[in-house]
Amino acid sequence: MKTKNKKAAEGLVMAFDVDPRRKVMKKKMSRRSFLKRSAVAAAAATLPLGLVEISWGQSDKRNFTFAYISDSHLTHIKGANFVRNFDKGLKKAVTECNFMSPKPDFVVYGGDLAQLGKREELDHGLEIMSRLRHPVKWVIGEHDYYLDLGQYWQEKIGRLYYSFDHKGVHFVVLNSILTYDSWINKWKSPQERMSNMARLDNPHGSPFMVGDKQIQWMKQDLSKVSRQTPVVVMSHSPLYKIFKPWNFWTDDAEKVQAVLKKFDKVTVLHGHVHQILYNQIGNISFEAMMSTSWPWPYPVSYIKKANQVPRLTVMMNRADPFHERDATGWSILNLDDGRVTNHYKLWENKDRILKYDKKLGYPIDMEYQAPATRIPPQMHY
Amino acid sequence: MKGFGMIVATVAVSLCFSTCLGWAGQVLPLGLPPVPVPGDNPQGPEKIALGKKLFMDERFSADGTISCSTCHIQKKAFTDGLPIAKGIKGLEGTRNSPTVVNAAYYKEQFWDGRVASLEEQAKGPFVNPVEHGLKDFKPIIEIIKKDPDYPSMFRKAFGIEPQGITIDHVVKAIASFERTVISGDSPFDRYMYGRQKSAMSEAAIRGLQVFRTKGRCQDCHRIEQTSATFTDNKYHNLGVGFSLVEPELFDIVEKVKKAKKAGIELDGSILGSKKVSELGRFVVTLDLEDIGRFKTPTLRNVAVTGPYMHDGSIETLEEVIDLYDQGGEDNPMLDSGIRPLRLTDQEKADLVEFLKALTSPEYENKK
Amino acid sequence: MARNLRNIIALVLFCSLVASASLFADEFTKEDLKKWNKQFMSVVKEGDVLFHSSKLGTNTVSCDMCHPNATNTHPETYPKFQKQLGKVVALRDMINWCIQNPLEGEPLKFDDPKMIALEAYITYERAGKPLAPGKH
Repeated sequence: MKTKNKKAAEGLVMAFDVDPRRKVMKKKMSRRSFLKRSAVAAAAATLPLGLVEISWGQSDKRNFTFAYISDSHLTHIKGANFVRNFDKGLKKAVTECNFMSPKPDFVVYGGDLAQLGKREELDHGLEIMSRLRHPVKWVIGEHDYYLDLGQYWQEKIGRLYYSFDHKGVHFVVLNSILTYDSWINKWKSPQERMSNMARLDNPHGSPFMVGDKQIQWMKQDLSKVSRQTPVVVMSHSPLYKIFKPWNFWTDDAEKVQAVLKKFDKVTVLHGHVHQILYNQIGNISFEAMMSTSWPWPYPVSYIKKANQVPRLTVMMNRADPFHERDATGWSILNLDDGRVTNHYKLWENKDRILKYDKKLGYPIDMEYQAPATRIPPQMHY
Repeated sequence: MKGFGMIVATVAVSLCFSTCLGWAGQVLPLGLPPVPVPGDNPQGPEKIALGKKLFMDERFSADGTISCSTCHIQKKAFTDGLPIAKGIKGLEGTRNSPTVVNAAYYKEQFWDGRVASLEEQAKGPFVNPVEHGLKDFKPIIEIIKKDPDYPSMFRKAFGIEPQGITIDHVVKAIASFERTVISGDSPFDRYMYGRQKSAMSEAAIRGLQVFRTKGRCQDCHRIEQTSATFTDNKYHNLGVGFSLVEPELFDIVEKVKKAKKAGIELDGSILGSKKVSELGRFVVTLDLEDIGRFKTPTLRNVAVTGPYMHDGSIETLEEVIDLYDQGGEDNPMLDSGIRPLRLTDQEKADLVEFLKALTSPEYENKK
Repeated sequence: MARNLRNIIALVLFCSLVASASLFADEFTKEDLKKWNKQFMSVVKEGDVLFHSSKLGTNTVSCDMCHPNATNTHPETYPKFQKQLGKVVALRDMINWCIQNPLEGEPLKFDDPKMIALEAYITYERAGKPLAPGKH
């Protein structure tokens, strides 16, 4: 008996297959009955990682999956000490992303790897990101940029704006967190400039912009792209106007959107806001990525100033500060026929899925879009 | 003013009425909320007595030596005092026997919450090879039918004749009994809800404050304004035992996913394989975030229900607090509420005193 | 006769005293209001600085990182049942919880001027919101 018990305790497959003490009925299960039997709800919104691969068709080779990790804000305290909370968030995203099976085609890093743009922070972030088993496409954020105006980033990582094609989709990466030269030049030191940009509710802040130089480059880059080619733009800050006091904003958003107007299928993916946020403006779908470090309130919570938080957005669940990873996470995105399905991997929460609805013409939350389906934690006030 | 006083009095009385009474006839111990009772299994004295008898019956096992009370001994606060439970022929499983006391308040049963009721939980051990070791439930039903007392007890409890008795009746009765195995009225309850300042020692009172603030115990081990179950009914990864699976984590996860797709039965594999067991709730939900997660147990009677953790690997309360103080066992899936605490020796000692104050009078000195 | 006169004089004196006292008690002026508001705003400003300070805790995290403009602090809902503390508490209890937990710092005493300042700033940013004690 003891030998059998030991055998069973060893490898997994052994215990299941050859345990002589009982006959295990191994049924060939259909996917449907498996879903019924398992404790996991069959609703698409709660698909665990392992089942994701089944639901998305792999028949069309133009369908592909990529991951999005953003806003880690690694903060250097002293010596080799970094803020433990934020380190943990990025490490968790990297670990879980490595579990993806099948592997994503690439991982996008959405900006704000560092908190105060320090070399220690960027190096620390690069070290953690190097543990990823997949290639990375980088987008710069203002917390990375404003200490040295992107110098170390360009040295260690790459260009601040660029484009690439992947399986029939044209990707454009922008540096959308630039601002007026007069603001950049007025500070006594780079550190002062950086800490003023770092403070979200800074009354002496300055609005983000893409700038005419990049817009010119975009026009030229996109002139070679046909109307039917799906276009995905990735920037750190949202390329539309949500809330100026917190720089959920791009001053020249209309100009950028005008450049994208002629394309049939355009999606803008961005970070910066640390919350679930999505909108449709004309032909462009906008979707925010979560932060791995901490959540931000919705601008509706600041009653002293008016806001333009899109009504379309079904808000994320309110954060419980006891669990540091609550209201943080990362995303798995699937490109299907030029449209994005965004599976938010929400830590300590049920995942959410945004899918572009062809009939309605905008992205919707697959479980909670209808007001009658909303739950109390989504009420932010 | 008089009218207002009447209203206050009425409200107070009705509040008292609803919080103090569970089902008709049972008075709730101090500090406990009402016991959840499912609609299809109402409480009743005959059912409870039947459940207790079934709970103690050793014939419901392959060699006639194991009953529920073998691992859930009333004198030991319904545990067995062992790190890992031992079933027929001394076969060891992989997990520590949880106490039945106040298990009625869990939304799901077992360390990984793989079943949603006390009724369902009772079925598992009967047919688990390392517990009661039966192949199926038939022997149980046969014994019941032939027993001199059971048929009339079932008739009285369910209004059912012997030929109609199924395993569902058996587990319903057991669950009904378990719903009476509740305890409160500990020194903490008398201090907190009975407003008796002298019910807890000074050290325990300081320990309660640590519990709520620096110790970060509150939130998973919940105390609430009018009652305390000391559980959030959620699952968390402390990293205990995780080092066993961490080196081969990716491979084991893939194997479990494949096995589950092929329909492998849960109960046997969890208690049959240490590595599967260490994956915790993941085996139930296949959600990667659930890797290494186990249910928050109640802390009521914790001083007399050791050893601790899902694998019984920690012997003393002091060592448990040291584990939390260091921030658990670090691993990639560590719960985000767990972190180093930097408690002073005084705070640790006070916490232990507080935990000791959670023992109900009927389980005091039962070790 | 003399005694009566004395009583009358005492009575008149007493009445005039009372009358004159009421002249001073509730008669604050516009200048007073300005002065007191200035004093209040200086404490709000102190709270604003503390709220945005990386030195309130020990790990450089500041309150505004999760609560820009003190949003999501909901001062109008206190006292309320606070899940993280397991009981009904006031705003200052939660301020201390945050200092101890995300900021990994030492809690403030309730009469610490820093605590008053933080409360002043937090409530000031939410001015105008109706009271909603207990609201979660």
